[in-house]
Amino acid sequence: MNPVAAVGVVGGVLGAGAYALAVLDGAAARGVAGMPRRWADVVVEPARDAALLALTRRSTTERPDAQAWALAPGLLAAMAGAAVASVPLAEGFAVADVADGIVLFGAAMAVVMVGVYLHGWSANSPFPLVGGYRFIALALSYEMPLALVLIAAALPAESLSVGAIVASQAGSWNVVRQPLGLPLYLVAGMGLAFWGPLDGADGADLAGGTAAEVSGPARLAWELARRFVLVAVALMGAAVFLGGWHGPVLPGAVWMALKTLALLALTVAIGHRVARVRLERFVVVAWAVLIPLALVDVFVSGALAL
Amino acid sequence: MSRSLAVDVAFVLFAGGAVVAAWLVFRTDSMVRAAYWLLASFLGVGAVMVLLHARFLGLVLVLMMAGEMTIMAVFMVMFMMNPAGLNPMTMVHQHGSAKVAGLVSFAGLALVGIVAEFPDRPRTSDADPTAELGVELLGDSMLIFETAGVTLLATMIGSIAVASKRGRFGDAEEGSGPPPLEPTARPAPEPEPAMEDHDHEGMHHG
Amino acid sequence: MTLQSLLVVSAALFGIGVYGALSQQTFVMIMMGLELMLNGAMLAAVALWAMSTAGAPKGQLLTVIVMTVMAVEAALGFALVIGIYRIRKADMTEKLKRLRG
Repeated sequence: MNPVAAVGVVGGVLGAGAYALAVLDGAAARGVAGMPRRWADVVVEPARDAALLALTRRSTTERPDAQAWALAPGLLAAMAGAAVASVPLAEGFAVADVADGIVLFGAAMAVVMVGVYLHGWSANSPFPLVGGYRFIALALSYEMPLALVLIAAALPAESLSVGAIVASQAGSWNVVRQPLGLPLYLVAGMGLAFWGPLDGADGADLAGGTAAEVSGPARLAWELARRFVLVAVALMGAAVFLGGWHGPVLPGAVWMALKTLALLALTVAIGHRVARVRLERFVVVAWAVLIPLALVDVFVSGALAL
Repeated sequence: MSRSLAVDVAFVLFAGGAVVAAWLVFRTDSMVRAAYWLLASFLGVGAVMVLLHARFLGLVLVLMMAGEMTIMAVFMVMFMMNPAGLNPMTMVHQHGSAKVAGLVSFAGLALVGIVAEFPDRPRTSDADPTAELGVELLGDSMLIFETAGVTLLATMIGSIAVASKRGRFGDAEEGSGPPPLEPTARPAPEPEPAMEDHDHEGMHHG
Repeated sequence: MTLQSLLVVSAALFGIGVYGALSQQTFVMIMMGLELMLNGAMLAAVALWAMSTAGAPKGQLLTVIVMTVMAVEAALGFALVIGIYRIRKADMTEKLKRLRG
């Protein structure tokens, strides 16, 4: 594919997904608060907020690591883009159907950890730094379950390519064949985008965590990049666990979009309904419960795939 | 732009970037930056591996090193006196001879690389290199692969044993003291018997 | 991208790693030098696999083994740094003139 077109497709998917995520989030917030949902307002609000952020003056701290600070959102966005590129958006159409797509996703999501830590560290300020450390503890806990459930999903397909994994779900989707996969993946995915109950890195209890000292256009870039990561996670989840383009009547691309939106809506609902989890408790749960469950998932899927 | 030219341009960018980043690891004052320059060097090498069709290995290298370098950065901040790099800092010894050793090993290896006659047998098969690696790991070389796995398991157990705070006879730092002023002095006083320790603690906390 | 150029790049990475491992005083920085040396070795292995062995799978296996060595080096290195810091409060080689515990 032409490189310009490829960047356009990836950017379009990420941008549309992030906007849809913001709209869903606004609607859910109004629902939780008992405010009337006027859809015209709900749809326009993210654009208004983004414009406000873009026009706000940028603040700075004493002697930040300016390059690393600017690099962090770019790193997140680039890694989300790399993940999106390897996912087939419709039957036979992926921006780059890499033969090792699952490994590419894992590598990209590992670099996200670097981006978040850099964002917290480079501000040269205590709260962001604590947020960065929190994210490392979180990331080291969710990374093993994430890798294991993806490996389990690759087993029936006998391939590491996302396209082959989607193709292998023609009969029944992985969410049915591997009931442990999607819940574990969603927990790890919420950790990846530090979203909902796992938003310790940027949580309100840390005055905004790694983003505490960021305002103006840089804040906009960061919030966008973080949503891009969640969109990439949802897209990959839709492809790997919800059967991707498979579905009756409607064309494959529409199914893909619907499934991604469903996962985003589920994430948003969890984010508004479940309280923030204390990190030290999550670490214990991740190592003592999630990793064994993910191993069970791998073993059962492997036995079934034989 | 033809494919081979594009590969050459990408190779120069990634390989050059890897070498420059490797050099900057030892030229920066900030610990976190040093760790992440090293990561950048690994990213460059991983990209060159992908260019050489070793896609799986290149991606796994990135996956592994992103985590490892973050841990390294955390360690640096934990243990070093000047973590953020606010002051210029050089912490080196035997600088001259280290430079000579580095240059000599570079020159020697590069000479071997340039002069030696390696067989010119480029990879020709169209088979998926990842599949080849998988068959090799679980086929002829399974014993080697399993040895690596057992080595990693032994490493995990050993490093937890070395690093854990709780030892069989109490806390690991029990009996440790502040660093001695004289390099030849005894580094730590002998640990007191455990029974007395309990009494001390009772008095302090009571 | 020729075999020669790849081997020169890997030699450069190895040379910088040797310099770092010998010149740095902090344990973690020494580990960085060691990792750079392994990085160069790995690049050379992959280069020879792709260009000189007609893609024999054993070449990739060698790289997997080097990665294992890296993981072992990192895990044991960090564990020893913690252990030494706990007992001696030392993070630099100069504070460890005595090896007796």
